[in-house]
Amino acid sequence: MRQRLSFCSLVLAVLSWGLLLLGTLGRAHAVPGLAGWPRWGIILAQAVFVLFVFLYQRGRPDPLQGYDFVGLLRRLVRGPGLIAAVALALGLLERAAAVARLPAGGPALLAVVYTVNLGLFVVFLARTNYAWRSLILFRSTVRLRTEWALFEVLLGATLLLRLLSWHPPATVNTVVFTALALFGAYLGTNQKWVAYLSRRQKWQAVAYELLLLLGLLVFVQYFRATRFDPLLLAPEPQGAFLVLTAFFAAFYSVTGLLVTFFNLPTARVHEQRRAEVLSLQRLTQIIQRGQSEAEIYQTLLDAAADTAQADAAWLDVPAENPAGKTTAATEYYYKVSPAEATLLRDALAHYRLSGVNFVNNNLAEKPALAAVAPHYRSLVLLPLHGTQHRYGTLYLLKRIPYGFDPEEVSVLRSFTDQTVLSLENLTLATLALHNQRTQEELKIASEVQDSLIPKNLPTDDWFEISTHSLAAKEVGGDFYDFLVLPGRRLAVLIGDVSGKGVTAAFHMAQMKGIFHALMQGNPLAKNERDRFPLPSRFMAQANAALAHCLERSSFITSSLYIIDYEQGGFMFARAGHCHTLYYHALREEVFYFQSAGLGLGIIRNEGYEKHINNQFYDYGPGDVMVVYTDGIVEARGAGQEEYGEDRLKLRLEECYYQEADAIKQFILNDLNAFTTGQPIHDDQTLLVIKFKAVQPEPAA
Amino acid sequence: MKVTAHPSADSLLLVLDGELDASSAVLLDSELVKPGLLDYRKVLIDCAKLSYISSAGLGVFISHLQRLQDHNVKLVFFNMQEKVFNVFEILGLDSLMTIVPTQAEATAA
Repeated sequence: MRQRLSFCSLVLAVLSWGLLLLGTLGRAHAVPGLAGWPRWGIILAQAVFVLFVFLYQRGRPDPLQGYDFVGLLRRLVRGPGLIAAVALALGLLERAAAVARLPAGGPALLAVVYTVNLGLFVVFLARTNYAWRSLILFRSTVRLRTEWALFEVLLGATLLLRLLSWHPPATVNTVVFTALALFGAYLGTNQKWVAYLSRRQKWQAVAYELLLLLGLLVFVQYFRATRFDPLLLAPEPQGAFLVLTAFFAAFYSVTGLLVTFFNLPTARVHEQRRAEVLSLQRLTQIIQRGQSEAEIYQTLLDAAADTAQADAAWLDVPAENPAGKTTAATEYYYKVSPAEATLLRDALAHYRLSGVNFVNNNLAEKPALAAVAPHYRSLVLLPLHGTQHRYGTLYLLKRIPYGFDPEEVSVLRSFTDQTVLSLENLTLATLALHNQRTQEELKIASEVQDSLIPKNLPTDDWFEISTHSLAAKEVGGDFYDFLVLPGRRLAVLIGDVSGKGVTAAFHMAQMKGIFHALMQGNPLAKNERDRFPLPSRFMAQANAALAHCLERSSFITSSLYIIDYEQGGFMFARAGHCHTLYYHALREEVFYFQSAGLGLGIIRNEGYEKHINNQFYDYGPGDVMVVYTDGIVEARGAGQEEYGEDRLKLRLEECYYQEADAIKQFILNDLNAFTTGQPIHDDQTLLVIKFKAVQPEPAA
Repeated sequence: MKVTAHPSADSLLLVLDGELDASSAVLLDSELVKPGLLDYRKVLIDCAKLSYISSAGLGVFISHLQRLQDHNVKLVFFNMQEKVFNVFEILGLDSLMTIVPTQAEATAA
């Protein structure tokens, strides 16, 4: 639709121009047999031609593509500018013909050239005005668009005005004319696009606008010259419209020129800001790509030196020695030799500037510096301060005095701030990765530890066992284990390594190893009974084994029970571990075994064996043994009070008759009710061993 | 946890106040590692206000036990609350360390 309209406009414009040519030629009586047209006919043809050229131009796609303002101006100069050149050439040709009085000259040639030039002028104006429209409406408001539409309609109205035979009084004419000119001038002040030009583009825009004005001048000059030519019998052209549009085109060019020209000093600032933004982006992107500290420092130095247009710059990064990682001092240089930098650094040390922002725009005042580097006149020194420590110091130098204005220094500061941020992010990222690894290692340790805890509890027809263990952290220091020994005997080991975490878990694994090694039995023993160590002997050997590897402040508490079904009794040794809680079925009594015994790793010599002893006890059917770690009795309640041995004893008195599992659950339920809402401070382990009420006959 | 040191001619009195756990154990340890400690004949520990001792707290005393014995410095605890004494006793430390009821006895020991 739009294309067809545009095509029609073009056809009609060409047709009307043809008619105009015919009419003008006819009026000049230049061609014999061609009837002279009435005046109004020519004016009508003119008006129609102007209207359709403008309509055609109006319907063409927006000449402004994106932000290509210079491209728009260039195309404008190449198109209508060429038109002006042709007009000029034609005008000169006709002048030459007139002067030479060539036969081909005379009114006919004049009329043709005049009509051609008029046509070219109209095309030139249409192109220019619609280019200006694109520039005026660039990033415009709705109001401005309405104003522009109104301007177009009013200009069109002046075309019609000429067609009427009515001639308004001169004053009205002047008022209307001036008002429209002022309206055009008002619209012409919309030069927002200029702000988007770089310095170089501004110079180009200025040149193109000057060329356009020159083109306009050529036409105006031509029409002024031919206007009073006695040979030209054409009526004067659509004066008001053409003068107004020409005025508007010229005015817009001139204002654009002026705005561009006076904007030139700020153009550099705009360009600089853009460069700064780009540098900052580059700096930020580097960290996002997860690059190294060295790259960040190099980028900072380049960006700062580029932006400040420094003549020399360097960046000192001091040696670091955080735990585990040592980095050597590094320097980064920009247009300065390390030797020269060292000279300057030494001179600066004289002024004790370490760690402070320092700007000096007249280095001649600083004799120590002037002595080593007289060619530098301005200096900026910016330390890179992080929250924890200083990352380095940036030095920038210029050969001119007063080279660093406060604005520039503040931009440089934002560079260093961004760098510090990037470096700290990098540290955090590394730390996070490290933490993640530690977490994974802990998880593995936890899995290993879990595998050390016996899953398959020993079973026999004379006892039942129930166990519970809960670690306060991923890995704990509590442990227990069982071994079924020949002759219907059962060894039960429980222990607690002081401290928590991986170290404690490691010692727990060690203890398990010692248990299995010592309980393998001595094949050289004279009789079956002596093949396995007594609990006290076991503890002494374990103490000796641990002495070499347990840290000085660590110790282990442990109890070892060897229960003998055939003897109907058990013996045990308590190495500083919690007292054993016992229910004696025959006496219907709950009590704690009271025995002395020193924890493992407290005395690390032969003297230990004096501090440990064995206890023997005969068990009866229905007896219950409760073995636990201090995480149970030292568990805290809401008021920070401990669960305690007494409460544990009371619970057993209430549930001894139940099965081992039920007893364990009963105690745990009470413990959980007691500690509700409190964090677990220590690992909890609870073993319940119940000797069955009906004991099978011992094997013969 | 607060640890206050009161030096006198031949003995050093350390007054413990609060709960001795993993975090406060460092405080106590820093008092006991001082080289000057070995010049005393006796180190008296006032446990009247010691309300709790964890295994890390016990570890501090255990780690210095051998060193003090080697230099003939006697470690004497007094005014110990029953609950705290219980912890020492269960671990068997009462047979290794001197724990007396009153300061007078501690001074005399």
